[in-house]
Amino acid sequence: MTNILNLIKKDYRLFWNDKVAVALTFLVPAALILVFGSIFGGSGGGDASGIRLAFINQSNSKIARKIESTLDTTKTFQMIKSFTDDKGNEVPFDTNSIKEYIINGSASSALVIPKDAYTDTSFGLKLRFFYNPRNQLEMQIVQGLLQQTIMTQIPEIFNQSMMRRSEEYLGTEKGGMFNRRMASVISEYFGVDTSEILKQGFQSFENDSTAEDTSSSKAASQFFKDIVRLDSEQLVGKEINNPGATRSVGGWAMMFLLFSITASAASLFDERNSGVTLRILSAPVSRTDILWSKYLYNISLGVIQLLVLFFMGYLFFNINIFSNFGNLLLVIILSSAAATAFGMVLAAFSKTTAQANGLGTFLILMMSTIGGAWFPTFFLPPFIQILSKFTIVYWSVEGFLQVLWNGDGFIEILPTIGMLIGIGMVINAISFWRFRRGDIF
Amino acid sequence: MIAIKNVTKKFPSTTALDNISLEIKEKEFFGLLGPNGAGKSTLMNILIGYLDADEGEVSINGQKMNTVAFALRKKIGLVPQSLALYDEITAKENLEIFGSLYGLDKKDLRYIIADKLKMVGLFDRKKDKVKTFSGGMKRRLNLAASLLHNPEIILCDEPTVGIDPQSRNAIFDYLQSLNDEGKTIIYTTHYMEEAERLCSRIAIIDFGHIISVGTLGELLQKLDYKQTISIIKNPFTEKYLSLFSSFGEIIDEQDKYELQPSDGLILSDFFRKVEEKGISYTFINFSKPTLEALFLHLTGRSLRD
Repeated sequence: MTNILNLIKKDYRLFWNDKVAVALTFLVPAALILVFGSIFGGSGGGDASGIRLAFINQSNSKIARKIESTLDTTKTFQMIKSFTDDKGNEVPFDTNSIKEYIINGSASSALVIPKDAYTDTSFGLKLRFFYNPRNQLEMQIVQGLLQQTIMTQIPEIFNQSMMRRSEEYLGTEKGGMFNRRMASVISEYFGVDTSEILKQGFQSFENDSTAEDTSSSKAASQFFKDIVRLDSEQLVGKEINNPGATRSVGGWAMMFLLFSITASAASLFDERNSGVTLRILSAPVSRTDILWSKYLYNISLGVIQLLVLFFMGYLFFNINIFSNFGNLLLVIILSSAAATAFGMVLAAFSKTTAQANGLGTFLILMMSTIGGAWFPTFFLPPFIQILSKFTIVYWSVEGFLQVLWNGDGFIEILPTIGMLIGIGMVINAISFWRFRRGDIF
Repeated sequence: MIAIKNVTKKFPSTTALDNISLEIKEKEFFGLLGPNGAGKSTLMNILIGYLDADEGEVSINGQKMNTVAFALRKKIGLVPQSLALYDEITAKENLEIFGSLYGLDKKDLRYIIADKLKMVGLFDRKKDKVKTFSGGMKRRLNLAASLLHNPEIILCDEPTVGIDPQSRNAIFDYLQSLNDEGKTIIYTTHYMEEAERLCSRIAIIDFGHIISVGTLGELLQKLDYKQTISIIKNPFTEKYLSLFSSFGEIIDEQDKYELQPSDGLILSDFFRKVEEKGISYTFINFSKPTLEALFLHLTGRSLRD
């Protein structure tokens, strides 16, 4: 038993001395739990917020105004009601300009409350929803959130409108009787107070199986779901062969690219430790030659890896990589260059292969999580969404989506590839500075 | 000729070389003998242009050597202390990679590689991955990789560490033949036997200082005595260490004690005492003093300390 205890003690001592192993055991999962916890309702954030929603209200109805003011005040959506034209003027949206706004990728979805959204003679509320589903999950959640926001905020107005309509059709006296009878029937079957039903309107009882749930706003939402008509129109990506695979291939490809390039950059340590670096530098070779060779090797390896992954996407999932291949190749090259810069900066700041790989694993998982490789960034709390934009993964995924989903040309992808170049250059500058001062050579 | 003038190299925690000056002649087999951490490898790294000296200067045939003297590096071949090879590829592929760094013609390189592999006895294993080689085979390949460009000067930084005697002897023989062909060889070691066997001139280095330079004979003349009494180490002789130490200083070596006789030792007295104790004469030998004894004499420490 003493032997076993001593051996356990030995393992703990070795583990504790391996700081990378300690970090990977505690820090990486803790950080990921923190991020995922924030997304799925933990302490850090909660529900999605700040989703950009283009919006026009063309209706003068009270309900339309109520919906607009509700959406204006909710944190879930960031309402955009105008765009900047070529002359720099802020112009309110019309139906055409709001569609254009979605098509050019300025926002993923738009809500239009048309003139005839709700009139004195209409029974339900009619809304129009334009979207670019380059992220299916995002779209489903936006639609769900939109309905939930509208439903939870305005049921009483809607119910009152229904009661008003019954009185209009049947007359005040008969309409009032009808409403009271309806309330009585609901009361009988659902076991709630009739006066309460009349006060609240005919909300929420239809789909409930138990009397205990009658007051819940969830049931109200369900009841109204059928009444509010959301006419959705997909504006972009209708021709995409395999939307799911097209959306996800870029993010996953980038994550694995970062892993392979980090491992390759960390080989600088192996070469140094084995004495190969010394042997190479005893030949007519400079340190700059070694660094450039590593950079170019890793970039080319990354380009080949991404091309193979996208080609596999073409073979197995029918992803259309050839219709915009030139721009796809450009994003691939720049993503690979930026990933290489990341791998090299890790090598520059680490002292051992284990450190580089450990730190790399941590950063790659974090970047993939917050950069949108696994799920859309709008899930994240606002402050993490800001951080997302500092990651290579975010801009690479954006670039791949622009090229594969939107079919964007060079001019359209210029800001995205500009960001990739910028991030790559900053990281490169840091790593060159560090290589000059570090002891890798 | 290699001239090292007042070279100093400092690292954050230590001064590896402190104002060192040496001259190494053409075609010389020059030994740099010192314990681990003496500064030997740092000096080699400056000689190959891997490191720059903080102060002082190194020149080879009048040309200054530093980290940007790329042309000069073609004249030098470094046999590194570590096995600087790629384990996952074959011996031939390793040599192709390292040979290509010297801009050798592909066709020429093929012949050179075959020649060097034959020379170190690895031609039959050229297509085998290095990871399948024994330590001795790797050492030999390590040497071959340094000679592909036919350098005038060969820097050997402890090239026989951790290998079997057979491979060590093969490397010695080959280095000797290269020296006979006219190559200048600088050989660092902390094994005095290697320096004694191979080097025509030796510098003893310790804590970044050159303590003494000369031929083996010149160096040993610095000792007060010309003979050493070796006593074979066994339980019987160990009992009488105090007796032996009354005749001089005892150095504890791996398999023997070396007695450095005190001034005025009378041999008959020594043997009479040995006989009285019943110590067999087969345990006692007379030999020339070694560099180990000189190092101890000069530094007060053993080479292996």
